[in-house]
Amino acid sequence: MNKFRSQRLVIVLLLCGILWLVNLSLGSVQIPLKSLLERIAGNPFPHSSWEIILMEYRLPKSLTVLLAGIGLSLSGLQMQTFFRNPLAGPYVLGISSGAGLGVALLTMAGTAFGIQVLGNPGNSWSLVGAASAGAMGVLILMGLAAWKVKDSMTLLIVGLMFGSATSSVITLLAYFSAAEELKLFTIWSMGNLGNTGWEDLGYLAGAVVLGLIPALFAIKSYNAMLLGETYAMSMGINFQKLRWTMILSTGILTGSITAFCGPIAFIGIAVPHLARLLFRTQSHSILFPATAGVGVLILLACDTISQLPGMATSLPINAVTTAFGAPLIIWMIMKRSFSEEF
Amino acid sequence: MENPENRQSDKEGFVRANDLELGYRSGAKTHRVASGVSFSLFRKELTCLMGPNGVGKSTLLKAIMHQHPPLKGEVWLGNSPASHLSEKERAKRVAVVLTEKIATGLLTVRDLVALGRIPHTGWWGQLNPVDQAKINEVMELTSISQLAHKNVSALSDGQRQTALIARALAQDSPIMVLDEPTAHLDLSNRFEIMYLLRDLARKASKAILVVTHDLEVALETADKLWLMDARQPLLTGSPEDLMISGGIQRLLPGKKWRVDAVTGKIIRNTAPLPCKIEGPEPLVSWVKNALRKNPELNLPDTIFLSENPFSIKATFSQNQHRFDSISEMIRFLQERLKQKISF
Repeated sequence: MNKFRSQRLVIVLLLCGILWLVNLSLGSVQIPLKSLLERIAGNPFPHSSWEIILMEYRLPKSLTVLLAGIGLSLSGLQMQTFFRNPLAGPYVLGISSGAGLGVALLTMAGTAFGIQVLGNPGNSWSLVGAASAGAMGVLILMGLAAWKVKDSMTLLIVGLMFGSATSSVITLLAYFSAAEELKLFTIWSMGNLGNTGWEDLGYLAGAVVLGLIPALFAIKSYNAMLLGETYAMSMGINFQKLRWTMILSTGILTGSITAFCGPIAFIGIAVPHLARLLFRTQSHSILFPATAGVGVLILLACDTISQLPGMATSLPINAVTTAFGAPLIIWMIMKRSFSEEF
Repeated sequence: MENPENRQSDKEGFVRANDLELGYRSGAKTHRVASGVSFSLFRKELTCLMGPNGVGKSTLLKAIMHQHPPLKGEVWLGNSPASHLSEKERAKRVAVVLTEKIATGLLTVRDLVALGRIPHTGWWGQLNPVDQAKINEVMELTSISQLAHKNVSALSDGQRQTALIARALAQDSPIMVLDEPTAHLDLSNRFEIMYLLRDLARKASKAILVVTHDLEVALETADKLWLMDARQPLLTGSPEDLMISGGIQRLLPGKKWRVDAVTGKIIRNTAPLPCKIEGPEPLVSWVKNALRKNPELNLPDTIFLSENPFSIKATFSQNQHRFDSISEMIRFLQERLKQKISF
């Protein structure tokens, strides 16, 4: 890693730190930065309500942002390199649709079929369970498809088709469901980073680490994939193994994050591009830390915007990521020649 | 230093195969592309694999790379059959340059070349001093050291091809296989790349196999030619021997074309021109060239050519005409044809 890139990485990490403090400070109740720093130094807050807001809500939420930012953007990076497609993201293999189907069955099947299929939709753990089950279901189906299908483009198309198929089931469920259930599902699909308590956070962190380990061992293989499948194989890369690594890593990462936070839009597609743009490289030993850092930075920024002071409630996170993500992608498409990189 | 495993006798090729059946399996079906293929590829030699499209040249390459293992028979890489080697061991014996598009616009040339070290590095891909030295060495060898920090997207086609060759060299394998490395290059780069490969074969003691359609360059640079056509198994030999024996004609199936036995140029089989042409070479050849392109014309009885200044004297049964250029004569003959038709 040369000097320019190390400097950039340090800047990104510093910005993450600053933004994290801002994120903890801002919200419907503002905690001044000074008090926050004193609290970190060990002095208690002047108001005990701040302590509760920080420890029970903002801190776990910001840690969720950290995990989701790393997990989603690294999933996106792996997908884009593996499929050599700039539009690939963590959800192209249908993971979010699968999770969505699980949640839709939980929340809406009650009225649609007249029976409660899965647990109590009001309980946050049953939401997580339903989303995980749905994501795992699609992951297993994709695994079976990967067994049969040899080339990566076909796999990509199969993934998109799975996504469409599950979406159509969700649409049917939505059509027959009652208004309040539909709202419950719609709110889930807007994403929510603030629903993970400390206990959930432990599980999420475990899953994200589990998903990252195979990806870290595949850094070299992803570099080889820049030259395409045939070159990669000629350099001794086991392509089938890499494919399973990719499916498992992105499946575990996006599956667990979607289970706890709902489908978070745009981060997975946009962040790897932003990292390439900022660090001017395609080498994955640089792009992995860079993408993770930029992912945390962007999602922290989006989350901070969603809870800006002066608003009684926070905005849905997907409204913010999309509002930022869409212009970003348009800007990048205008500015860059993707044909050199994909 | 020579790896003892890679040592070999001089008589046997470094890559060799006997009576291969080439093809691929898709599902329960097998598609046979060629059979009875035998060959020996030697170190320090540049070998060109030539033949019409669709006869199985790529399948043969893929058999050597072990991506489509042969349906029958074994390809030996050094002292072991390809199928007995692990992916990594194969990568240390065979490096490739392919035709497919690479997506490394944001990598520097040095990063690209460094990718060749992948079979030699640990799981993180960290380069040790040995790797660094090898990268420097191959960039020196291919004269691209001054491009090291340029992005691959900023290279010309010829430079990019050279960088890809350097990447294959960095893989440090005794065998290099290249699929049409000169396909999109301009005239001088076609020669540059092939001379570079010829040089590398000797200096770095590589066995190099190049698929090409470029007969002119192959005749000039190759130590051996492997000719493939749809009917018979591989025919191998030095380009000169194949020219003399006429084996080279297998490149051009059908009766329409042939390789000129003197120049090695591809020419169309035509009846001799019904016209006597006299004068010095190369003037006569070029006039013939122009007349062959216009077979509909009625030719003069005799044509006399003279140099300095160039002039053409054409005699018809009754009269004589003079021209200062070939195109002037052709125009005249075309006019004459039109008048004849209108009468």
